Amino acid sequence: MERPLSPFMFPTWYRFQITSVLSILHRLTGIALAIGSIVLAWWLVAVAAGGEVFAVTHAFIASPIGVILLFGWSVAFFYHLCSGIRHLAWDAGYGFDIPTTYRSGYAVLAATIALTVLAWLYVWLAA
Amino acid sequence: MKNTGSLPNATAERDQTILRRVRHLGSARNGLQEWRLQRMTALALIPLGLYFVASMLRLATSDHMSAAAWLASPVPALLTILFMLAVLAHAVVGLRSILIDYVHTRARLVAAELAVRGAAVLLAGASVLAVLKLFLGR
Repeated sequence: MERPLSPFMFPTWYRFQITSVLSILHRLTGIALAIGSIVLAWWLVAVAAGGEVFAVTHAFIASPIGVILLFGWSVAFFYHLCSGIRHLAWDAGYGFDIPTTYRSGYAVLAATIALTVLAWLYVWLAA
Repeated sequence: MKNTGSLPNATAERDQTILRRVRHLGSARNGLQEWRLQRMTALALIPLGLYFVASMLRLATSDHMSAAAWLASPVPALLTILFMLAVLAHAVVGLRSILIDYVHTRARLVAAELAVRGAAVLLAGASVLAVLKLFLGR
């Protein structure tokens, strides 16, 4: 008999909680950032190529879709960074008890929002 | 939070013990090395990532000249290369751990893994070449 595998369990059988949601988010943002690395490499190549290639790349990045993507990647980066530091603390043996885990989880979310707001405030003010 | 003072030592000791046991008794493949690579690149990516993103924010409103000029100077060129290599190594291990969880057919897993590794090598090569071109001045 086929037993349901974990992703299938979520909507119907499993109650969402911040611990599991943040864990899934760490993976999803990781995938998003891996895709972002393609754009990053492309951007480096475009800067090196210059001329037409860079102009087209720059126009795309500066377009509404480009800015939305950049915003998404910035959120993903800051989340993955903060959540990654939380994971490193766990790897070092710290913060395993439930109250600490919940507190560090909310701290990661707060830090993500703060860093994202600061970054885009900087862009907005500098532009 | 109690007894945390001795935990890192206990963790290190446990890792050593497990490594010794696993080398003799089980098929660990490259799990531990991968685990370590993931953590080492994660540590490296904290300063490198913050540096790169901060630099991107400064370049955000710039034209081609300043991005090219930025990558032509030694420190940004070096840190950008290291950043890209660390990102791609970190991504390969991370994506592989996700693939292992969701791809249950051996052939598909190997194919997906090869695709991820191939893409990472291609992107790493292209990034390094691009930065080197700007740094060495075409």
